[in-house]
Amino acid sequence: MSKFFSAIGNTLRALRRGEFLLRIRADKYYLHIAYLFVITWISILLGLRVDKTLAQSAENRITIEQLRIRHSEKQAELVKLQSASATEIRLKKMGSKAAMPQEPPTILK
Amino acid sequence: MAKRNTEIQDTIDNRDRIHVVMFFLSVFFLLLGGAILVRVIDIQARYDVPEEVVDLFRTTVHKHTDMPVRGRILATDGRPLAISAPLYDIRMDCTVRKKEFADKEMPEAEKQWKEKAVQLAGALSREFGDKSAKEYEQAILGGRDKGSRYLLIKKNIDLTTLNRIKTFPLFCEGSNKGGIIAEAHPERIYPYDSLARRVIGYTKSDKAIGLEASFDDVLSGREGYEWRRVTDKKAWIRDLDSAKVKVKDGADIRTTLNIDFQDIADKALRNQIAQNEDVRAGICIIMETSTGAVRAMVNLSRGDTPQTVLWERDNLVLREVGEQGSVMKTVTLLSLVEDGYVKSLEETIPTNNGLYPGGYHRDDHIGDYQRETGRREISVMHGFEISSNYVFTYLAEKAWHKNPQEMFDHIYSYRMGEAFDFDIKGMGTPVVNRPGTPGWSGTTLGTTAYGYGISVTPLHVATFYNGIANKGRMMKPYLVESIEKDGKTLKQFKPTVLNSSICSPATADTVTRALKAVVNSGTATRLRKAKLPVAGKTGTARVVLSPEERNGSRDAYHDNEGRKRNQGTFVGFFPADEPKYTILVTVYSYLSHSNFYGGTIPALAVRDIVDRIYAIDGSWNDAIPSVGTLPVTASVSRKADDGIVPGVKGLGLKDALHVLEEAGYRCTYEGTGYTVSQEPAAGTKADKGSKVKIVLK
Repeated sequence: MSKFFSAIGNTLRALRRGEFLLRIRADKYYLHIAYLFVITWISILLGLRVDKTLAQSAENRITIEQLRIRHSEKQAELVKLQSASATEIRLKKMGSKAAMPQEPPTILK
Repeated sequence: MAKRNTEIQDTIDNRDRIHVVMFFLSVFFLLLGGAILVRVIDIQARYDVPEEVVDLFRTTVHKHTDMPVRGRILATDGRPLAISAPLYDIRMDCTVRKKEFADKEMPEAEKQWKEKAVQLAGALSREFGDKSAKEYEQAILGGRDKGSRYLLIKKNIDLTTLNRIKTFPLFCEGSNKGGIIAEAHPERIYPYDSLARRVIGYTKSDKAIGLEASFDDVLSGREGYEWRRVTDKKAWIRDLDSAKVKVKDGADIRTTLNIDFQDIADKALRNQIAQNEDVRAGICIIMETSTGAVRAMVNLSRGDTPQTVLWERDNLVLREVGEQGSVMKTVTLLSLVEDGYVKSLEETIPTNNGLYPGGYHRDDHIGDYQRETGRREISVMHGFEISSNYVFTYLAEKAWHKNPQEMFDHIYSYRMGEAFDFDIKGMGTPVVNRPGTPGWSGTTLGTTAYGYGISVTPLHVATFYNGIANKGRMMKPYLVESIEKDGKTLKQFKPTVLNSSICSPATADTVTRALKAVVNSGTATRLRKAKLPVAGKTGTARVVLSPEERNGSRDAYHDNEGRKRNQGTFVGFFPADEPKYTILVTVYSYLSHSNFYGGTIPALAVRDIVDRIYAIDGSWNDAIPSVGTLPVTASVSRKADDGIVPGVKGLGLKDALHVLEEAGYRCTYEGTGYTVSQEPAAGTKADKGSKVKIVLK
């Protein structure tokens, strides 16, 4: 028990005198600490880049969805115009005499 | 020694300096830590944190649900019949920045905002045209005064319109400054409007019908979710530390419907019934003979009154169970021939003045026949052509009087006694008054033989006739040919056989001969000049009235004013010798004094449909060989001599026109193909500028 209190006392004294890091020989791990620092820094940078990419991806998803919706709307419009009845009505409105075929087209063999 | 002592002393001094610096640093950090600790305790214990500060620390993660895109319903050629796209409701927060301008005492900014609101009102009025600019202005500025934060601008606009109005003054500044609120809600688009709407169906919160309902689980997909967090730049991104369930969009279903056929059938039916206010409804089904694929299914009906527009209100093809009348005589004939009770259509039976012994109803057709021919015998074929109830009662009683169940065994083998499986739910269940059921009586066999006493749907009838067209092989009608996702087929539905042999091919040929005779010289002669030969049968049936409709009348088919509800049907197939399609058209009447025969409106509609399918189907094109000899042309000079008409015989229209106009003549023509005659004849004298008529063939 006295050893424990003695170790605590030594640690506190070392802290007070500013020798703690020297006592535990932290200078031996300087490179590791520097490495850890760089890794942490890179990790933060990468995290920010990932955030940016995800934000871009979210924006792209919205754009793609909007394009899909516009494609659907345009498709519906075109299909509506394409029906035979709609074509006949338009031709009639335009005063055209063109009408739906009465005979099948002759084909070249 | 002294030097070493000095070095030791310097080292000790250096260490002391380091100790002092480290000491003060330690003390500084200890004090800082202590202060933070005290502050934390202070904040926890008594500090009332402002809301804006709380907002900064509030968790910025939320669960985002991805709604699946509902799958499309496609026609057989891939054209979309139903697609999904959201529509938007546009609202406005009229109070946006009002408080900010007031707090910061910025009357100029408030004035500018209102000026932009006036411009916005004008732009909205021009865009939608439903209100004047003044009305929009009053709504927006009035809303700002009243504190309206959810003013409805317009409902159900598409994305293209939304993007356009996002460029308008004020709205272009976004929701925080311009107050625009766009709320999306998924919507189903049906590009062909009413075409096949009852087949395509819909899903609403309280009701779901058609293919949309039957294939809802395929079309719906599965919603997904992910957790999202906000970045430093206020963008919402996926939180990679949380779970994600990927959204699964719905698959597409490709139907067997040919939208051109649907269009043709819909239009033909409308043309026939639109002007006739006694018609309650008209239906049409076109099936591909060899597969049973339904190429068109039209269900036009009016509401309770004739004034309502024709619309696809109910799937009568599938659900209208009723007595079909004379089209069921083919069922009897097929069974009689198959069992050998009728060996030849030319067999004759006695006419008995059109009254079957023990029967109550005299057949007027037989009376007419006797008067016209003076004969006292009638052939089975002629009885079928003129659709005689007497003939079929006689034949059925003669064949099955002792064992009527034999006839009903046939009816069940034609799948007319059950609602078979179909791609749309809700097929009507037939009612068959067979021996042993409450509806059976001594006359039921005879009435069943000509189409009463048995109630089926039009789809049952069309399926049966398709079986005859297919030489006895009865195919199950179907509407969906595949389930697809991103252009890849996930599941293919193949044609299914309901009964591989309802009769022998020879029996089918015999009955087809009778059906052709109906068109050529029977009750469906309106189809004789159709562009493809048609075989089929007409049917006219009276509908049993409900007690309310009878209004005191004791006759099940007439009300107290003598009005009746009836239906006229034509069902058959074309081309008669090599059938490709089976077709059924039925019209249903309101309570009326008018008669509706299968040989009138339905036959005319069928003719219109057949003629137009003939022109577009691609199965009956004339072919010109790529190598051949040109037609021999007349020896008369093509050159224009003064006042002499050049010869154009053998030339096509374009060349003939060129030659005649070069010679100074005007041209009229008729027909298509090559010139076969001309007037004035080639080589004769005619004044320049006069007309030359050519006939092409």
